[in-house]
Formats: sequence, structure tokens, C-alpha cells
Amino acid sequence: MALSNLNQFLKTFFTTHECRILSREEGVFTVQLTEEMDKALMNRPFYWHYMKKMGKTGDPMQLTFITNSEKREYKGEWIHFGSPRLQQIIHHLKEKERYTKLYQKDISAQNKALYPWLVTNIKISYIGKQMKEELFSIGLNLVNGMMRTKMMDLLKNISLQMTIPDYCYSISPIIMPKSGYKRIENVLKQYIQDQNHQWAEESLRTLDSELKLLHHFYKDNQDENEEQLLKEEMDLKNRYQPTIKLQVVNGGIFYLSKSLT
Amino acid sequence: MNQLDIKYDNNFIENLNLKLKKETPLSSWELFKLAYDAEMFTLTPNFDGLIAVNHLPHLKPLPHQIKAAKQVVENMNGRAILADEVGLGKTIEAGLILKEYMVRGLAKKILILVPASLVNQWVKELNEKFYIPAIAYRKNYSWEHCDVIIASLDTAKREPHQEDILQIDYDFIIIDEAHKLKNHRTKNYSFVKQLKKKYCLLLTATPIQNKLIEIFNLVSILKPGHLGNYESFKKKYDKQSNHTDKQYLKQLIQKVMVRHTREQTTMSSSKRKIKTVWINFSPEEQAFYSKLDKDTYSSPLVKLTLLREICSSREACFMSFKKIMEKQNQENNSNLVHNFIIEIEQLPHHAKAKKVIDLVQKIGDEKVIIFTEYRATQYYLQWYLQQHGISSVPFRGGFKTGKKDWMQKIFKDHAQVLIATEAAGEGINLQFANHLINYDLPWNPMRLEQRIGRIHRYGQEKDVYIYNLAILNTVEEHIMKTLYDKLNLFEGVIGKIDDILAELKLNNLETEVKNIYRQSETSGEMKIKLDNLTSIIQGQTLSESGDQYGTV
Repeated sequence: MALSNLNQFLKTFFTTHECRILSREEGVFTVQLTEEMDKALMNRPFYWHYMKKMGKTGDPMQLTFITNSEKREYKGEWIHFGSPRLQQIIHHLKEKERYTKLYQKDISAQNKALYPWLVTNIKISYIGKQMKEELFSIGLNLVNGMMRTKMMDLLKNISLQMTIPDYCYSISPIIMPKSGYKRIENVLKQYIQDQNHQWAEESLRTLDSELKLLHHFYKDNQDENEEQLLKEEMDLKNRYQPTIKLQVVNGGIFYLSKSLT
Repeated sequence: MNQLDIKYDNNFIENLNLKLKKETPLSSWELFKLAYDAEMFTLTPNFDGLIAVNHLPHLKPLPHQIKAAKQVVENMNGRAILADEVGLGKTIEAGLILKEYMVRGLAKKILILVPASLVNQWVKELNEKFYIPAIAYRKNYSWEHCDVIIASLDTAKREPHQEDILQIDYDFIIIDEAHKLKNHRTKNYSFVKQLKKKYCLLLTATPIQNKLIEIFNLVSILKPGHLGNYESFKKKYDKQSNHTDKQYLKQLIQKVMVRHTREQTTMSSSKRKIKTVWINFSPEEQAFYSKLDKDTYSSPLVKLTLLREICSSREACFMSFKKIMEKQNQENNSNLVHNFIIEIEQLPHHAKAKKVIDLVQKIGDEKVIIFTEYRATQYYLQWYLQQHGISSVPFRGGFKTGKKDWMQKIFKDHAQVLIATEAAGEGINLQFANHLINYDLPWNPMRLEQRIGRIHRYGQEKDVYIYNLAILNTVEEHIMKTLYDKLNLFEGVIGKIDDILAELKLNNLETEVKNIYRQSETSGEMKIKLDNLTSIIQGQTLSESGDQYGTV
């Protein structure tokens, strides 16, 4: 997916962190950072340490971003997909925004019950000679055990808040989150096992043939080079041994109305 | 597959439970969703391809650099010798490859060993061009705690550093000026051999200086056993080895080495669209040509020149006759020359010039460069274009730098056509134009390449259109058909042809062709001789391909 709307992405990031957007014209905008964001992004711990010591409030900085590459002569940071600042923001998001508990709001007057869902966004990495990744968004109804994929797409269309709305009540889960998570994991395990893993076979074949070469290389004086040989073997295994990694990007408990599902 | 190694995430659900119990602040929906989006667009959806370039919009790598990086990542699994000639940007290739592995999350711990004098340059390039946060090693830094560190080989191999470094599992190692590692008995070599590494790049402009065993040593760092072991290799290749063995060795080396020479990389991504435009002389012109061809008075070489000139313009031919006349004024045969001159004066406008008007009008608003061999033709064409309302500027090698710049500027801003007599070597870059008319073809293909090189160079974003004009039933047809077409001279292989000629102990092509013309009695004989020449060159081209160490 291309980062098609960088402007929108950055604006959401900063406004939800309570930073004011000061000026905006097409392709260029300035943000007044808060103290919290300044600490997170500007990498000047000594300044903040000093201010605290002196009992002063400190002066958070402003940042000007250029998103339109044709306006790069403006004073500011050109921000694009690979720019260190964007990578820093992305890193910050991935680090901080991992857990949540949210409630659906604006639900109909009749049905005030909210059902608990475990929602997990899980990344699968396939690592062999090369690597690729897949991202899944899976939700599990913790009352009846129903499972849904593309959960984030569904959630994008409703409103969510961090506290339970007035006059609503939440149903207690029957399935505990931990065993719910196991169910999700098992489904993905099955998904992985059903695939054709040609990439892994190729990787193993390469590993095998390079190991053979390696042994041929040392065949005449294996003993005196044992340590070196073991090191080279390790290097090869680290490079080629196919691995699949499951990693939860983020997730949490979502209380959703019955009608939604 | 049953032996799949799957690593699960065991922390997430525990942490979630903990956070829910402790009522610690959790993510808002906006930020939760934003984090998901961020993951989505930093995802690596495919095994293949270079995703690093999407991260580096300001960097415009040359096509051969991208190709090299792809080759190393996709076919060489991240271990390779980068052996481009000096100045072709091995650092850029190495940076691209390193970035690719970093972006894909496969390389975190990185060591870069370069000559002391280049440390700072590497730091600067990696940071500025690739956003790779590399730092130079300084006293008391911990090797353990720096993720991307650049140091000199001499520092790294000294204790106590050596011991620290050898403890670390590196994901990626780059060694610049790796020809320092060609001797396996040195401390440098044994140190590098002991490094724990997944991916590794060795950079050197001169992979083989004296002996084949040097390349064996380099390859053995990357892929021990790929070229056999030391004893067997020495036995087989280091002495007089036969041709088949050498070919086989070259193929093996191509699997771990990328090498471009300068001549292979002048290409940009724009393509050459080559079109030969055949033209018929008018009956009057053809009659004159035949008469000149049959004439036995002038020496073969002079005649050849005159024939070539009349294929270009009346004026060019006229000037030569005039010179001849001045020289031979006293002699009796001047009458004959005089007759030719009178006949030239009565010829109509040149068929080629008419064709040029046609072509330029068809090309429309775009800039056109016309190359001719003759100054007289240049004047004539300028006048003739002007008669048809087409603005043009002349350009000659003899112009002073200031005038060259001035003409170039007029061409860029005002005139549609530039008429040049000489490629004028360096100092003129015309990549804002992409149409080139070879009004007449030089017999020295090197000059042709220089002409095309004015517009087909780095920075040319469009495809380049080259029109070659040649008149049927003349010497031009011979040259076009036997030389240019057969040897693909328009495709930029000229550097190779030069090597081949040297190998065949031939002079340059122009001299060879002239000799053939001079020594042939009939046009049939000439054709056969030209055919022979091109066949020899072609044969050599075939046996030469693959005769290079490293992949191109």
C-alpha cells in the first residue's frame, strides 16, 4: 500500500496528540509540538532535564513539514515515505499503540447491550532467502466464538470511544481472552500449514547445497579448521534456515453492538 | 512441509490482560488505527523486488546500479563481490543493497570496514543518501552497542577491538577496497574470515590483479567451496589452464560477482529507437554519381571522398573539386574537373536535404540535432532549412567554449534545429533534445557513438530517436548494410568492437574500410571484402561474450 495521503496521516497523528496545526497550504504545514511530542520526536533530553531542574516549563518546538516534493525549497523538512522523521513517527506508533479497550457509540435506542470481541492485527513474516509479510486483522466474539477476518475494515465504519457510553452495559465474556487468542493462533497455524511453501523448500535446498560446498572446502584439513567450519555452518543456517514469525501488531478488547456482527 | 519453524507471539495476550487489569492508559481508536495503517504501508508484500528505492525518492540510482542491487538481493542471496570499474558507484550499489535488507528487517547489526581515509565519506553518504544512521568508530565506543558502525580495517583488527568484534553476530558486513584481502596469509584475511556474518559485500575495482588465486581468496570469504578448495583450485587454474576450464571458472565467478565497465553503463533507461531512412537520388543526381564513379582519372581515395561528398551535398563535392582544380590548374586534365564543376552547379536541391525538411516537419515542435561530416553541407542545410521557415544554429568543434555555450543556449531556447559538424567531444550535453538525424554516417563508428552520446546519456528521460539517412545505390548503402546493420553499431556496442579490433590487430574500422575501397577493382569484390571483415568481427564478438569475469 502506498502512503497515499501523507498529509492526512500526519495531521491525525499530531492532532490526536493535541498538537496544533499552525499553518497549512498545499503541501506544506507547521505543527506546534506539545511537551510530550517534543520529548518523543526531537531528541533533546538534556534540554528537558535542565528545564525540569530549573523548575521552568520549557518551550516545545515547532516543526514544518513539506509533503509536496516540488516545494522542497521551503524552509522545513521534506517528509516522504523513507524520510527519517516519518520512520520515527511510524516507529513511535508501532511502539506505543499496541493495546486498547474500546466501546461502540451511537447505537440504537432498543439494544443497549455491548458484546466483547478480541481483536488482533497479526503480521506473519516468511523469512528464507528473501522475506515477505502478510497482515491479518482477526476478531473473535468472546461470547459465541464467532470469528471474522478484515476486522479493521468493519471497525473503520463505526464510532468508537474509550469509555462505555451512557445507558449501555457490557456482556461478560464467556471465552477468556487468552483462550480466545489461542483459537485465533490455531486458525493462522492452519492457514500457514495449508500453504505451498516453495520458498522454504528452495531456501532449504540452497542451504543444503552450500553446506556441501563448505564441507568440500574443508575436507582435507577439517580438524585444524573445526572452529572456522562451525562458524561458517552457523552463518549459513542463520542466512537460509526458513522461519515463519507471527507477531501481533496491536489488539485489544472491543465492545460492539449485536447488530454490527 | 513438515519441518517448518514457526515462532509465535507469546507476549501479546499476557500483556493485554495485564494492561486491562491494571487500568493503565490504552490507545485511543485514532492512534490504534493509525498504528495499523502504519504497519500496512511498511509491509513487505513480496519476496522479490527492491523496495528500498521507495524509501529514497531523492536518490536517482543509475539503471546498472539498480540492476546490480537486484541481482545481489535476488540471485546472490546477499553475498557478493561488487567489482564495477572505478567511478560507477559501487557505494551506491552497496547502500541500496544494505538499505534493502534493513527495510525488510533482515539486517540490524552492521559493520562496515573501509580505508581510514574513506570513513567519513561513507558516514556522510549512508546518512545523507540512504538515511542509514551509520556512525564512525571513535575511541571508547562500544562495538556491541552501535548498530551501524564504520571503521577502518586496521582499527578493527587491532586488539582489543578484534576480540569484541569477533564476539558479535553481524547481519551485514561491507568491506571496501577488498583487494586488500586477496592474500590468504595476511592478518587482514584471517580476521575477515572469522567474522560472524549473514550478508556480506566485498567492494573492489580490481578483483584480479595478478593471479587467479586472488579471486579464489575473495570468493572463499563469501562462499567457501564455491571454487573448490585451495589445493584443487591451485592445481586446476593457477598454472596454464585450458580454455574450457577458464570458461567454466568465469561462469562460477559470475554467480558471486557483479562487474560493469564504463562502456556498459552509459545507457540510461531511455531507449534508442533507430530508423534507417532510405533515399533515392533524383535522376540527374544519379547520373552524376554514376559518371563520377566511372571516372578513372582521380585516385581511388580521392574518388571515394568525392562520392561520399556528393551523397551529402553538391556544395561539399564542389568544394573538393575546387581544391583539386586550384592544385592542378596548370595541368591539362583540369578540363575534366571543370566539366564536373559545371555539372554540379546544375544539379537540383539535394534529395537528402529535401528529406530532412520532411523529417523535421514531421517531428513537429521538438528539438532536432543534425550531424553532418562536411562544413559545406552544414552551411547549405542551414540556408535550406531557413528557406522552409525552420530556425537552426550551427555548431562546430572549433568554436570557443563561450560560443559553444551560447549556441547551445540559443538552440535550447529559440531554435528548433542544431546542425553540428563534429560531435565536438565533451563539453556539449544536449539531453533536452531526443531526435538526432545522422545526415551522413561517419566511417569511424566511435564518432557515431560520440554523436549519439550527446543526447543519449544520464539525464535523458525520453527515448532517443535516431534517423540515419542513406542513399540507395551508392557507397552509403554499402556502408550502412555491411557495417552498421550487421554489427549493430547503433546499439552502443562500439566499445566492444574497439577491443575486438585491437585483438584482431586491425586498425580502426575507418582505415580498414578505406583500404578495402582502395584495393578493390569492382564493387562486387569490395562487397565480398567488406563482408569478410564484418564476419571476422562478428565471430570475435561471439567468442568474446562471456569472456568477462563477473555478471554484467
